[in-house]
Amino acid sequence: MTVFEQTLHRRTAIGGAAAAGAAAVLATGTPARADSTFHTTVEPGVEFVDDLDLDPAAGLLPADPLLHLLRRATYGPSPASIAEIRRLGADAWLDRQLNPASIADPVADQLLARLPLSGLSIAEIRAKVAAGQLKQYDWTPMWQLSFAAPARAIWSERQLFEVMVDFWANHLNVTCPFGDVWDSRTDYDRTVLRKHALGTFADLLKSSARHPAMLTYLDNRFSTRLAPNENYGRELLELHTVGLEYTESDVKDAAKLLTGLTVDNATGAYRYDAANHVAGPVRILGFRHDNATTTGGESAALAFLDYLALHPSTARRIVTKLCVRFVADEPPAGLVTELVKVYLDHRSAIVPVLRALFTSAEFAASVGAKTRTPLEDLAATVRVLGYGPPPSGTKTFESLYWMARNAGQAPMYWGPPNGYPDVAAAWASPSGLLVRWNFHLSIAAGYWPADLVKPADLLTGMIGARPATYGALIDATAERLLGVRLGPDQTAALAAFYGKTPASQLKSNDPAVGWLYPYLMTMLLNSPNFALR
Amino acid sequence: MKTVTCCDKGRRRFLKTTALGALAGLAGSQLDTQLAFAADPAYSGDVLVLLSLRGGFDGLSAVVPAGDPAYYAARPTIGVPKAQLIGGGTFFGLHPALAPLLPHWTAGSLAAVHAVGQPAPNRSHFSAMEELERAAPGTSVRTGWLSRMLGSFGAHDPFDAIAMGTARPARVLAGPVPHLSLTSIDGLALTGDDATKPVAATMAALYRDAPPALAQTAGQLTGALERGRELRAAGYTPANGAAYPDTELGAALRDVARLIKADAGLMTATVDSGDWDMHENVGIAAPGRRMHDQLAKLAAALAAFATDLGADGLRRVTVITISEFGRRVTQNGSAGLDHGYGNAMFVLGGGVRGGRVYGTWPGLGAAQLRDGDLAVTTDYRAVIGEILRARCGVGDLSTVFPGVAASSLGLVTAR
Repeated sequence: MTVFEQTLHRRTAIGGAAAAGAAAVLATGTPARADSTFHTTVEPGVEFVDDLDLDPAAGLLPADPLLHLLRRATYGPSPASIAEIRRLGADAWLDRQLNPASIADPVADQLLARLPLSGLSIAEIRAKVAAGQLKQYDWTPMWQLSFAAPARAIWSERQLFEVMVDFWANHLNVTCPFGDVWDSRTDYDRTVLRKHALGTFADLLKSSARHPAMLTYLDNRFSTRLAPNENYGRELLELHTVGLEYTESDVKDAAKLLTGLTVDNATGAYRYDAANHVAGPVRILGFRHDNATTTGGESAALAFLDYLALHPSTARRIVTKLCVRFVADEPPAGLVTELVKVYLDHRSAIVPVLRALFTSAEFAASVGAKTRTPLEDLAATVRVLGYGPPPSGTKTFESLYWMARNAGQAPMYWGPPNGYPDVAAAWASPSGLLVRWNFHLSIAAGYWPADLVKPADLLTGMIGARPATYGALIDATAERLLGVRLGPDQTAALAAFYGKTPASQLKSNDPAVGWLYPYLMTMLLNSPNFALR
Repeated sequence: MKTVTCCDKGRRRFLKTTALGALAGLAGSQLDTQLAFAADPAYSGDVLVLLSLRGGFDGLSAVVPAGDPAYYAARPTIGVPKAQLIGGGTFFGLHPALAPLLPHWTAGSLAAVHAVGQPAPNRSHFSAMEELERAAPGTSVRTGWLSRMLGSFGAHDPFDAIAMGTARPARVLAGPVPHLSLTSIDGLALTGDDATKPVAATMAALYRDAPPALAQTAGQLTGALERGRELRAAGYTPANGAAYPDTELGAALRDVARLIKADAGLMTATVDSGDWDMHENVGIAAPGRRMHDQLAKLAAALAAFATDLGADGLRRVTVITISEFGRRVTQNGSAGLDHGYGNAMFVLGGGVRGGRVYGTWPGLGAAQLRDGDLAVTTDYRAVIGEILRARCGVGDLSTVFPGVAASSLGLVTAR
């Protein structure tokens, strides 16, 4: 019983005449599409079929819009999530995901209970230090938060929420683990990123600006009246909000205005220190403030943050980044413009923007326009296999974390303040690909981590009864893992791996249905089809 | 038939695919055109080996300013006594643990530059390391300087640049130029891939009609795996009796030497050496003490690398050591050293005018210090820039180090 419904057999036999034809067409000057929207007028009543030969990704992915939504709005389709979205339909599924509090999440709750330090507040960590349960500067809470990340990405039911937490964790990056935020990074995750992930950007930004983790990471805690530190002021403008639209004078005034937002060294908590605030009028972009008193510095800074959050350039940067995450590496300009309006009309509320994005024609037309990053690949691998978490312990989460780290994308581990890159070109690394191909086998076959919960018999668990031929085995497994069959050349290549042809009879004692079956699963996970999102 | 290649025809040759003969029909186009080990004709400069000393290297322990009385006053228990220094300098002397490198110092293939560092003090490991590798402060440039240098030569083959000893992307190589991060040459292998289970060859076939971007990376990988197989099949024995220490650094440098000698087209390699963050118990200059043993390990690995390459091999190689910052001049209460600023760099290679310390010494008097740290009189980028010009054939430094002029220390001869 396959979980993917075979929706469309849209394979073209590229490699022969069709490919040559496509190449010829392109060579005669057909412009490549600038974005992923279809500029094709379809007459009413005429079924529109796009020309697959012009799109190299065509046919590599199932066209089913439900599967497209799952690939983009989650860490990848799992058998259970496919069944669920088919039951609910796209709109109800999206409504539910945009309201994560309505989703019971017993499995993830149980996994997180094994990592009890991953959500500690600053005060709780310091109390444990005082009680001798943790060492001063102990990294254990940060490690637990790190190991929780793959567990949440793979097994949480609140998939879109987790994707958005990751999105904001990159947008407002504070490296984890990082020694200087040993006591504040778990609190930052819980009270800033998770609390506001689907709220308003204005609240999220103000929350991050008054959090010890951010103030430490970007040095504002050390910014003083006599020596303002410009690091946070600059990144606030350049990375968190308007982008590269500021002058050095804007940075200087922003740094001045932000003086006093600091950390209490005794408690580790956020503190506004009026004695270190630089009073006096500021002009930053279009923001003006008398900033007349040192005691009023904090409210002046908050007014500035509100101004930034609702600035049209900020709106454009945020929705562009959302489009890069969910639609295409080069987002359709029309969609960006439309979403900027939604963002500003809703005063930086995230849910209306996401709803408009996922229900847009441009989104629907973007099948195959995104490539999985290493972390997305890792999570999608475990999810599509449908493997479950072990009944106890955290070793598996640690293994998955180190796999992501070896592939170059351990959650929250990016050092610079700009967050992990989100476009295919940044991840096109042969050594990164080697790590991914190796972890596909390791996970699928159960070498490492060894205690994921898998079907007792992989073949039966994946595709049910043993097919009659090698071709049928490859087709069924491809449909199960990729949602499509491969073309004849690729199918023949996979059969040749076993020294066979697609027509060869499959016998019950053939290695292909025994110890070599994980290799077929792996090669399909290594395929360009699975690399796409 | 579309084929995926990752290099120009000048670097290819035909391979005899014996074990994979059965697959020739489906993957032949990939396998018949694997890469030869021939230097990229576009690049005739030195192989640049960038050795990053992570954690904040104490240049004042390695290259001791013995002629500056303030040094001994600031380090009463961990200063290296004059009598123990080696290298025969009048003002500076080398830490005795660096003895394995003394022959190269004496022969003139090893030099040091002192009081070098970044243009502004930055005592955060994380951020200083980031700045060190981005090397473009005050700009919005986010690439690594080594990637920009490679880009100026149009490097496009993954074997042009290797981060050796790690599977993770090297920040200094961050950018559009492909490079390989390898834990080791022996680790450049696809699990389970062998003559009876030709995974890599099958993957080449699966990617034949893939979108170009995906096909290119997959083609680079399958090509690299093939070269990995060849390198492993050839085996490796270091030359000239070189004995690499059994350390991560030793293993990484051994693999770099292996690639250099295989003529794999290597232009640059990055290697890391960690554990330099000695906030406590630096120790006296004696075996069993922390700084001594760390320096001894570093020296043993570098010396083995130089011995292995031999004088001829070293003629087209330059090794540079860098670190995110130096250490505080005055020892702290734990007989350790806190984060500082100015530092020493080592340069090792056939084109080096060695046996001496370059740079402008600012002095260690209270008035000369920068917040208690050795001042920086030479931007580290200017030093590297001089080497890039003289040894690597970089004509225009402006893309590599925006706004920085090469130094004219004369520490290397022009190729």
